[in-house]
Amino acid sequence: MNKLLNWLDDRTGIRELMHEALFERIPGGARWRYVWGSTLVFTFSIQVITGLFLWTAYSPSAQTAWESVYYIQDVMYMGNIVRGIHHYSSSIMVVLMAIHLIQVIIDGAYKAPREINYWLGLILMQIVLALSLTGYLLPWDQKGYYATQVTTKIMGATPIVGAQIQELVQGGPAYGHHTLTRFFAMHAGVLPGLLMLFLGLHIYVFRRHGITTPDPDRAPETTFWPDQVLKDAVACLGVLGVILALAVFKGAELSGPANPSEAYSAARPEWYFLFLFRFLRFEAIEHIGLAFGAIYVPGALMGIITLMPIIAWWKGGHKFNVAFMWLIAIGVGVLTGLAMYEDDKDVGHQASIAEANRDAERVRELAKRPSKIPIEGAGSLLRDDPFTQGPRIFAKYCASCHRYNGHNGRGRMVMEQLKEQENGKEVSRAVASIPTGADLGNFGGEGWWKLLLLNYENHVGGFTKIEDSEMATWSKDSRKAMQDPKNADDVKAIYEYLASLSARPDSEYNKKLVEKGRKIATGEEFITAGKFASCTDCHGTLGETFEATGEGFGYPDIADYGSKPWLTAFINDPGTDQFYGEDNNKMPAFKGKISDRELDLLVRWMTGDYYETEVEDYESKVKVLEEALKARNGP
Amino acid sequence: MDSASPDSTSTESPAQPTGETAAFEPPRRGFFVKFLAAFLGMIVGAVPFVTGLLFFLDPLIRRGKATQDGAMNNPDGVEKDEDGFVNLKVAVDALPADGTPQAVKVHDDKVDAWNKFLNVEVGTVWLLRNEQGGVTAFNTVCPHLGCSVDYRQSNDDFYCPCHQSAFDLKGSKLNQIPPRSMDQLKVKVKDGKNVWLKFQNFRGATTEKIPT
Repeated sequence: MNKLLNWLDDRTGIRELMHEALFERIPGGARWRYVWGSTLVFTFSIQVITGLFLWTAYSPSAQTAWESVYYIQDVMYMGNIVRGIHHYSSSIMVVLMAIHLIQVIIDGAYKAPREINYWLGLILMQIVLALSLTGYLLPWDQKGYYATQVTTKIMGATPIVGAQIQELVQGGPAYGHHTLTRFFAMHAGVLPGLLMLFLGLHIYVFRRHGITTPDPDRAPETTFWPDQVLKDAVACLGVLGVILALAVFKGAELSGPANPSEAYSAARPEWYFLFLFRFLRFEAIEHIGLAFGAIYVPGALMGIITLMPIIAWWKGGHKFNVAFMWLIAIGVGVLTGLAMYEDDKDVGHQASIAEANRDAERVRELAKRPSKIPIEGAGSLLRDDPFTQGPRIFAKYCASCHRYNGHNGRGRMVMEQLKEQENGKEVSRAVASIPTGADLGNFGGEGWWKLLLLNYENHVGGFTKIEDSEMATWSKDSRKAMQDPKNADDVKAIYEYLASLSARPDSEYNKKLVEKGRKIATGEEFITAGKFASCTDCHGTLGETFEATGEGFGYPDIADYGSKPWLTAFINDPGTDQFYGEDNNKMPAFKGKISDRELDLLVRWMTGDYYETEVEDYESKVKVLEEALKARNGP
Repeated sequence: MDSASPDSTSTESPAQPTGETAAFEPPRRGFFVKFLAAFLGMIVGAVPFVTGLLFFLDPLIRRGKATQDGAMNNPDGVEKDEDGFVNLKVAVDALPADGTPQAVKVHDDKVDAWNKFLNVEVGTVWLLRNEQGGVTAFNTVCPHLGCSVDYRQSNDDFYCPCHQSAFDLKGSKLNQIPPRSMDQLKVKVKDGKNVWLKFQNFRGATTEKIPT
């Protein structure tokens, strides 16, 4: 062994190199406060290692970037862990970098003769930030796509050459394949290369001047190995523990595939850029212009930070530097906290996040099907999915009158501005809109029929009472019998029968119960006790097939009620004689207003005809709506 | 990378230089501190590397799982029976009666990582009609090193232009270059006319016929 080392040493001088590396002198002894630089090198090593492995599975193009990241995250062995480590290490690196910088400024470690090294460190910081920025786009998910759009737009606001810069960065006038290939080349090639170069210089200059010791006589002098190495290793272990915990228990996020035509209102930059995001949101800043807020102000702050070693030449300069640094730190902290607090309180933003999460889970569920992802990319999975598009189409066409479990289909309340006179002045107040159509949350199911039969006048018009209606009269007349405990089994059978008319693919019906219900509903049998006029007294077509039925003359045809063909025909024109008839109808005909494709997606969503899902639907807002409508009437 | 930066938690060569010449004498430390420093340094370096390595081994770890997805039938996909035979859409009568080989492209549904391609070309086979009206099929991939075997009209044999492997029309090897004879594939003739084929590829350069 020794012989081999000697042989090697003769040819390379490795002993001296190792000695140089390991036996750096540390006056005042090894200390915990010296670990931060090492933890940064460590996190960078993690990024290089995990990054190279992720590289083996990543495919940068608009049709494969999201898809390959999904494959890494959800399918490949340990993929979620490797991506999680890479993702959270970048966050941790930014935190460690801030600590390192704050410590350097407080200790005045930027002072002569260490100015150059301080500047090298600032360059390193810019490279790390550029790395996280470029990496954020690579999964090509909605979040990264829209957040990075903001960054490139800011670049476009650069004076004189803005448009050219933006186009060069994007690789064209708009985002596409070349945006990804360029970002990837930067992220995995140019930037890490530069980082290694500057890190080498940083460490070289650092070794030249030695460690900045605030208190050299604190303890006997020691060396890097093994005293400081041990402390560094323990610190790195702690950092690794935090990263692993985040990677395993929280996991890296992957939102839906990027879709330029699908607005993503939940877009936010990575958390450590939130302060800048919030700063740009100040109306005053916005007023002065994007270039001022996004380029000049941060540029000036960075300029002062850069000049700190020179500022320190003057008396009191160092004190100014430290005060300035704390000012920025507090500013960043306050703005970050403000941004988070506001987002947390912002109902609209929370609804956007809920929708983004629903889309993300859904598309990953669809991608896992045996038919996998089509060649045109995962975006088409969501585009053709009733569970995803149905709520959006509902919100667009139906939610001005109807609600879906109290919300607009997409989990948001339907609001309107209410103008009021207050002290002689007109003020407007955002209030919940009053629904004038039924809540379609349980359309066609047992819950739907319960409300329709027991409480017609309050159900079918939403929160607008409908009393002048034969069905409302029937509902009032039959209520007593329907609620009579003696009839409980009969009523259950009636619900089961009526619900079975829709033949939803996601529901199962009890055949015996359905048959019993059919007999009562069509008047073949009577209810056990009390007065109950059978459905066929008016709705003559009940029990037949929908296609075979003719005109209902204002008594809606309820054959196959709630089935796909029924609902399609109904939405197309509810005012025909087959349904309400011209006189009784309040709902507009949508034929010609809604495309066939949209109608198909909407109907399939409402009738449960889509690939089965385990994604949680939006929370019911029925109670919230009730409260809001009570509050609307005001104090 | 780790070892290039003296500031890092390098674990390499904890051996202390023997011939100490510097004026400054490093303090002597117990074995335990050195061991612990090296050990912890190793752990923190190994964790990201080992997880990454396991991720890289994914094709071996999930082997077999990926091919299962391919069995799923799809209306837009290729016509396939329950034994895995695909309809070549070639009639027996369309093949030369004298047994001259005909190259036919095989379509199948192909799973490639996150994509599933329906009805795409996955390979080519030589089809030969025999006197009894039966059909013999050979994969055109040479069992030697995977080039494409041609039909050589002048010699009425199969011949691989890459390394000169040659086979007779029964697929048997005619020289010592290929390790085995041509890979014959299973064929069904349905309704007396349509050729169905079970398409498979095999490992190259082995004497055994091992499906990939």
